[in-house]
This record gives sequence, structure tokens and C-alpha cells, in this order.
Amino acid sequence: MIVDRYSKTIYNLALNFFGNREDAEDVTQDIFLKIFNNMDKFREEKNFNSWLLTISKNYCIDYWRKYKKGVKRVELDDNLIKQDTTPEDIAIKNYDAVTLRQKISILDPDLRLLLIMRDIQEFSYQDIADNLNLPLGTIKSRINRARIKLAKTILKEGDSYGV
Amino acid sequence: MECKKVESFISKYIENDVTEQERKEISSHLKQCKNCQQLKENIENMIYLYPELQEEIPFFLKNKLYNIFEFTEEKEIKYGYSKWVAAGVGTLVLFLNLFYFTNIYPAANKSLHIALARVEKFVVETKAFIEEFKVSNKNVLFGFFKKDSDMEKLNQKKSSNKKGGKNG
Repeated sequence: MIVDRYSKTIYNLALNFFGNREDAEDVTQDIFLKIFNNMDKFREEKNFNSWLLTISKNYCIDYWRKYKKGVKRVELDDNLIKQDTTPEDIAIKNYDAVTLRQKISILDPDLRLLLIMRDIQEFSYQDIADNLNLPLGTIKSRINRARIKLAKTILKEGDSYGV
Repeated sequence: MECKKVESFISKYIENDVTEQERKEISSHLKQCKNCQQLKENIENMIYLYPELQEEIPFFLKNKLYNIFEFTEEKEIKYGYSKWVAAGVGTLVLFLNLFYFTNIYPAANKSLHIALARVEKFVVETKAFIEEFKVSNKNVLFGFFKKDSDMEKLNQKKSSNKKGGKNG
């Protein structure tokens, strides 16, 4: 079923795009409603992924531009804790994930989406290019730009991601 | 190689997507340039950390999403034609009521008449007062006592019988 197959992808795309769960939940719901309402317009299974990702991408960017430009919500993070050995480990990892997520949400929407798809959701470059109908070279150079921009922001703030 | 050029190759370098020549040039630049080396390390570390940002979708949200699809699918399949059947049955019942309780089409209320005919009507003339009546499952039981004049006649008969008896 569509929900089982795609909900995690879309939710994580929205979560890391907006950097907070509230917006991610709203947007995920909206996207699924949109998919449902436009279901009859789309029947070819072959391009379904691409259709779905395009809808999600466009919706995230629209939502961002409409409501969230310049507005940052504070994320109270308690669910991000994963199975780690010591409380220190949890705290460090938790801090890293939350701050990194917040840094990502500073990037330009287009770059941000590509970075999320490639590095967080681990799509291949080819998949991204196919799904978003963009040339492979463009995708690669944009993702490279996003990584450098993010790394430089973090370096400027004197924060480093030693793992 | 200049810093700018190294930057443009940095992802390819990390992902091993460069020619041997490019690899050598970038490596030698990284050894000399501290900034580029730090940038490269930072990007590598972040790439390692990014997948940690994936989360499971919250249970309640997944349920909501299921509802979007299931509720509407059910509606289409289950009530797609049965709502018309229900409407038909309703209309039929209304029409039958109309025929049963009016004389528009007497043949239709025939069965109603048969049902009513089973209730028996009867009149009993007793010239007596009802003393009591009991109702059991099926029958109504009346108890009577007779008028005084009848009682007198009865007594007279009894006494004549007695007399007769004596006579006899």
C-alpha cells in the first residue's frame, strides 16, 4: 500500500526540510491528501515514484515560501534518542542530530531538498536525476554546493562534527 | 590546483568518482591547504552522521494517513451501489404503507384485512351483572350473578320440587 511504501520517505523529507516535527506532520498529511485527490490523474506505476517525489518537493517548497519564511520553530527533542550505550553518547548524538537538522534548514530550499535526498535518505544520484527530471551533472554539482555551504557554516561557528 | 577547483571536486573525491590524475592533484593540495583539508573532513563526518537524521514515522500520523485511503476506499466499494438498494427499499416500504392504510388499491390491503378478521367480535345478552372477569392467555372469563326476580323463580321451583318430593 502507498502509505506503507512511501510514508517514511515523505515524512523524513519534510522533517529534515523544515527541521521540526510539527510542520513535518502537517506537510506529510497534506501531501498524502494531495496524492489521494490526484490519484485518478495518475495510473502509470512506472513513473509513480517520480510523480510522488515531484509533488512532495513542490509542496514542501510552496509551504516553506508561503508560511515559514524566516520563521524558526524550536524543536523539543525527546524522540530522537536511539539505542546508545551511555547517557553522554545519547546527549552528544542527540545534540548533533538536532543542530545539524537546524543547520540544514538554513540552506536554500532547492539545495536542501537535494541534500536530504542524497545524504539522509541515501538516494543514488541517478535516482534523484530521474525522479526530478534534471541532468545528472546538475544534481551532482548542486549537492556538492550544498555540502560545502553547510560545512562552511559549521566551520565558521567553530562547531565541528568529529565522530 | 586552486582551492575553488578543489571544492568543486570535493564530493567526487570523497565518493571516489575522479580520475587518477585528479586524485593525485587534489591529494597534494589537501596536504598543503589546511582549510581545504578541514572542509573535506567536515563533509566526510557529516555524510557519516546524516543517516542518523532518519526517523520512523509517528504511529498516530501513520494511522491518519491510513484513514485518508481506507475510509474513502471503503466508501467507494461498500456503499457504491448499496446506497441505491437502501433507497429503493425505503421507497418500496413507503408505497406499501400507502396501500395498506388507504383504499387506493384495495387488493393490496387484503392481508391486513385477513389479519384484522382474526379478532373475534361477540355480543352476549345475559340479563345479568358481571361479577368478575379474568384474563388468561387466550380466554376472557366472565362471572355473572342473576337478577333477584330470577332468584325468586329459582327458589319457587326448588320449593315445588320439595313439595312434589313430599307428595311423591
